[in-house]
Amino acid sequence: MLKRVSALASAITFTGNGLNIAEAPDFTLTQYAGSEKELKKALGKIPARMSVSLEHDRRTQLRINPTQIWVIGEPVEAEACISTPLSSSRTRIVVEGENARFVLAKLSAIDFHPKQFKADTFVQTAIHHTPALIHCVGENAFHIYAMRTFALSVWEAVTDAALEFSA
Amino acid sequence: MTAFKRIDKPSHINRTKQISFQFDGKMFNGFVGDTLASALLANGKTLLGRSFKYHRPRGIIGAGIEESNALLTTGSDGRTEPNTISTTAELKSGITAKSQNAWPSLNFDLMAVNQLLSPIFGAGFYYKTFMGPLKKSWMMYEPIIRKAAGLGAAVPDVDSARYEMRYMFCDVLIIGSGPAGLAAAVTAARSGARVVLVEQDFEFGGSILSSGSEELERWRKAQIAELEKSPEVRLLKRTTAQGIYDQNLAVLSLTPENHPALKITEQLRARTIIMATGAIERPLVFANNDRPGVMLASALRTYLNRFSVVPKKRAVIVTNNDSAYSTAFDLAENDVAVTVAEHRGTLSGNLLARAAQLGIAIFPNCGIADVIGEKQMRGVRLSGRHAVTIECDVLGMSGGWSPAVHLTSHGGIKPKYNEQIAAFIPGGFAKSHFGAGAINGTFGLLAAIREGDAAARAALPDSKKIKEFDLPAVREDRKYSIQPIWNAAEKSNEKYAFVDFQNDVTVKDIKGAHQEGYFSVEHLKRYTTLGMGTDQGKTSNVNALAMMADLRGLPLSQAGTTTFRPPYSPMTVGAIAARSVGLRFKPKRLSPLHDWHVAHGATFIEAGLWMRAWFYDWAGKTPEEAYIKEMELVRQNVGISDVSSLGKIDVQGSDAAEFLNRIYVNGFAKLPVGRARYGVMLNDDGVVLDDGTTSRITDTKFYMTTTTAQAGEVMSWLEYLLQMHWTDLNVHVTSLTDEWGGMAVSGPNSRRALQLAFPEIDITNEALPYMGVIEFKFEGVEVRVLRLSFSGELAYEVHCSADYTTALWEHILKAAELLGIKPYGLEALASLRIEKGHVAGADLDHRNTLDDLGLGKMAGKDKAYIGKELRFREDCQAPERWSLVGIESMEEGAKLRGGAILFAATDEIKGHGRGYITSVTWSTELNKYIALALYNGGLKHEGEDIICAFPLKNENVKARIVSPHFIDKQGERLHA
Repeated sequence: MLKRVSALASAITFTGNGLNIAEAPDFTLTQYAGSEKELKKALGKIPARMSVSLEHDRRTQLRINPTQIWVIGEPVEAEACISTPLSSSRTRIVVEGENARFVLAKLSAIDFHPKQFKADTFVQTAIHHTPALIHCVGENAFHIYAMRTFALSVWEAVTDAALEFSA
Repeated sequence: MTAFKRIDKPSHINRTKQISFQFDGKMFNGFVGDTLASALLANGKTLLGRSFKYHRPRGIIGAGIEESNALLTTGSDGRTEPNTISTTAELKSGITAKSQNAWPSLNFDLMAVNQLLSPIFGAGFYYKTFMGPLKKSWMMYEPIIRKAAGLGAAVPDVDSARYEMRYMFCDVLIIGSGPAGLAAAVTAARSGARVVLVEQDFEFGGSILSSGSEELERWRKAQIAELEKSPEVRLLKRTTAQGIYDQNLAVLSLTPENHPALKITEQLRARTIIMATGAIERPLVFANNDRPGVMLASALRTYLNRFSVVPKKRAVIVTNNDSAYSTAFDLAENDVAVTVAEHRGTLSGNLLARAAQLGIAIFPNCGIADVIGEKQMRGVRLSGRHAVTIECDVLGMSGGWSPAVHLTSHGGIKPKYNEQIAAFIPGGFAKSHFGAGAINGTFGLLAAIREGDAAARAALPDSKKIKEFDLPAVREDRKYSIQPIWNAAEKSNEKYAFVDFQNDVTVKDIKGAHQEGYFSVEHLKRYTTLGMGTDQGKTSNVNALAMMADLRGLPLSQAGTTTFRPPYSPMTVGAIAARSVGLRFKPKRLSPLHDWHVAHGATFIEAGLWMRAWFYDWAGKTPEEAYIKEMELVRQNVGISDVSSLGKIDVQGSDAAEFLNRIYVNGFAKLPVGRARYGVMLNDDGVVLDDGTTSRITDTKFYMTTTTAQAGEVMSWLEYLLQMHWTDLNVHVTSLTDEWGGMAVSGPNSRRALQLAFPEIDITNEALPYMGVIEFKFEGVEVRVLRLSFSGELAYEVHCSADYTTALWEHILKAAELLGIKPYGLEALASLRIEKGHVAGADLDHRNTLDDLGLGKMAGKDKAYIGKELRFREDCQAPERWSLVGIESMEEGAKLRGGAILFAATDEIKGHGRGYITSVTWSTELNKYIALALYNGGLKHEGEDIICAFPLKNENVKARIVSPHFIDKQGERLHA
């Protein structure tokens, strides 16, 4: 097997107070595209709307638009719809801890208040002028899916925003 | 000479924490809780600067954001901040401050000679005087004028401070923490709403801080304590609301404490906004009202009650309204002898009684005729029937109050004049905006608190459930009374009666503007500079507008105001730029192979946002040296180049072939599986959008590549077509630019190199012919090999998942090491394609048609495609269009340059010429400079001699128009 190389291989690690920022590699991301009916047939249960994630059959589903769903987890045999592997296309950065929301507030014009941005919701937004999907996976835990080619810039923006919490 | 002293009275300074600071090179002491201004006053410093134009001695006018005179330069080197408002600058240990606009010293300023010239330096002087005698004379005058006049100077050093930006949200934003703001915040907080309370000062409380009332101080602290316990409340001190924009976006400027950033700019989106911004006291206009020691009456009260700083012995107060009596009474209670010059003839009984009790002498029906003293006032001469001279340390003036309506006007709502209070109040509030307190012209304290509470209840749903509000135990508000006095200057002294202190605008200037026909308030502003500068006319505008209205015979309500625009107070450029500076100005886009290139001697070049390997140090230390060797490697052996930046798009669906057939000018419907095809797509106006290859992977799955530059645009275009025009097509497109990495293996030995790398895969010419595509798995990774050539040589593009691109790249290099394979960079890549005559981003200027590029014949005649109809419009088919040609240098050693303007050999070298060079390179095959160019009439001129002019270097090189295909015109190498 060829050796996998992360887009953040040369990134400087971050240690912080009340804050953990790290790459969460080794995930499988597949995009499924089709009509509502086709998607349901392929995936079984699907999220009713965008912005809310769904845990189903040990996979996380993120409906990124009405006809496309990202599935994080083992790929599904899905002849009913179109599938496109995208695991390399995104770099996943974890931001978690009591100060995580303050860091995100410096990066994206989204309301990250706990009452507004709860666990199992996500937004498709931008960080440092590049497209990013931010998924709230816990009370103060977030996954940022950054474009691979911009991942280092996004990492630098995230850790720079976290400077006030650095250890 | 000292006019002020610090007394023992309890106040808001912390006497246990003394701190040192520097002003004009001398050390002084102050206390935590002081402003720079209050500490300077306490040290007896009243002369703090020189005026903008006349270099008149100037001191402190106010005690807050309205200050127009006491601007200092703080910090040093890259941290220098000119025009620091000393009346709001929190005193910090070690701060260094300097006076401005004075040379050689503040006390002895040579440019004060300008005062003697003031009769000719009036408004409009520059415009009239410095027009001539020659057209460009202004260029000569400007540096001299700039040196002689102005505010603080910026420094060229890099600002080492950090600035940040953040985005926040709330239910209720309250701007101002005076009585109304505090009340609104507490009521809103009790509802459980997300509340943000913004205060420009470093303490909450607004006017309460200046009141000297123990009961109000108790109430203030109680409100703050309740707010601090409310989990959904953010309390922002040292924060100015600089502007209100559409959809309730407020831009805040924060000076945080214990934070790595010097300033934070916050974009705050609020559901509702309550403006409790208070009001600003107006000066009165009389002769020499700018002398150090002449201050706003309310400022004197603030310095007394907040900072324990009082005039040494005697103060005169001049007023036309009741509010100044609070200052007079407080000063008298602290052993300052007070005299009041009262413009009005009658006063309420309780004011008179209290004044008598405190021994305050009141002179009714009079104002100030003149101020005595230059660098520090020593007395005043009263006007009117009491024409007496009174010795005093300070003069406190109050011409009434102007509500701070600025933020309400940012959305375009003009203020309206209220005759009862002789001031402009908000002309209304936008939906979901509210006002409370002095901004509404409500000058009573209890009334302001009640309005704050009411505004919060109006802003919130279900407000009936919110607990009732506790009022402070103070007596009911006194009724506010005022008699407007806009100009109290005697006619003979109008040239010394200042309306705008910061810009040295006098009564005479306003009359001059009227005489010149500048009646409109906007014209008045531009002609006199009134209301410009760092204070934006906070103290001067209303007096000036009223004077102009008087001169025009109009009521002030009809004269109107100038337009209020953000920011409310000065912001540094650093705070606006925040972290978008230097290397963080824009993101960098990196290939999956980037780290490998770094480790192996690549020099990079920016290509859009991409950082691309330009050339490698194995080939040379300069691009000129390296790319030649890298080209030779590809032409003679085999090289490998990173092409990961190419746009890559997954096109899938049962209608994918039909979709591609519509977007490309050439046919794709019958492209066999396992084959690639070069295609060109047009915009709907018939102009070339992009070119690239698309490979058919299965019946319903295609792999499209685009140029690096146009990848995003093409992707958007495809999505637009599918979502807006062809919703009936079953096609889905997905960008794979980040998912797949790519490398070009090029050169006569490229097949051997791949055979060594993938010995189990059949890549013979039969199995993988030119424009063939194969897929296979290598060590568990899916690999896609496309037999394409950008260089014109036998070549392959090898694509795989980006996470494994580096490993695959290293594998190919190692496997083919014996052949001598090496990496080549973008410069060589671009040069090879010029020799072959392949167009790229530099040649496509978004104005080219298919025919301009010599590609018209590839378009399908019988099929429909986007841009087909407009492609044939008259101007797209004009014979003299700028079309693609090749150019060969005819002068040995002479360099052709990109962007060079092309002329026919017989043309005069002048103007825009007949075309320009789009791409240029040294040809290793032809041993000369060659270029691609767009030329008027294109290849109709093949064989003609031309001149390539490059005026920037004064070069004119002889060249010849040739075919753009410089090498291998038959394509034998491609098909090898």
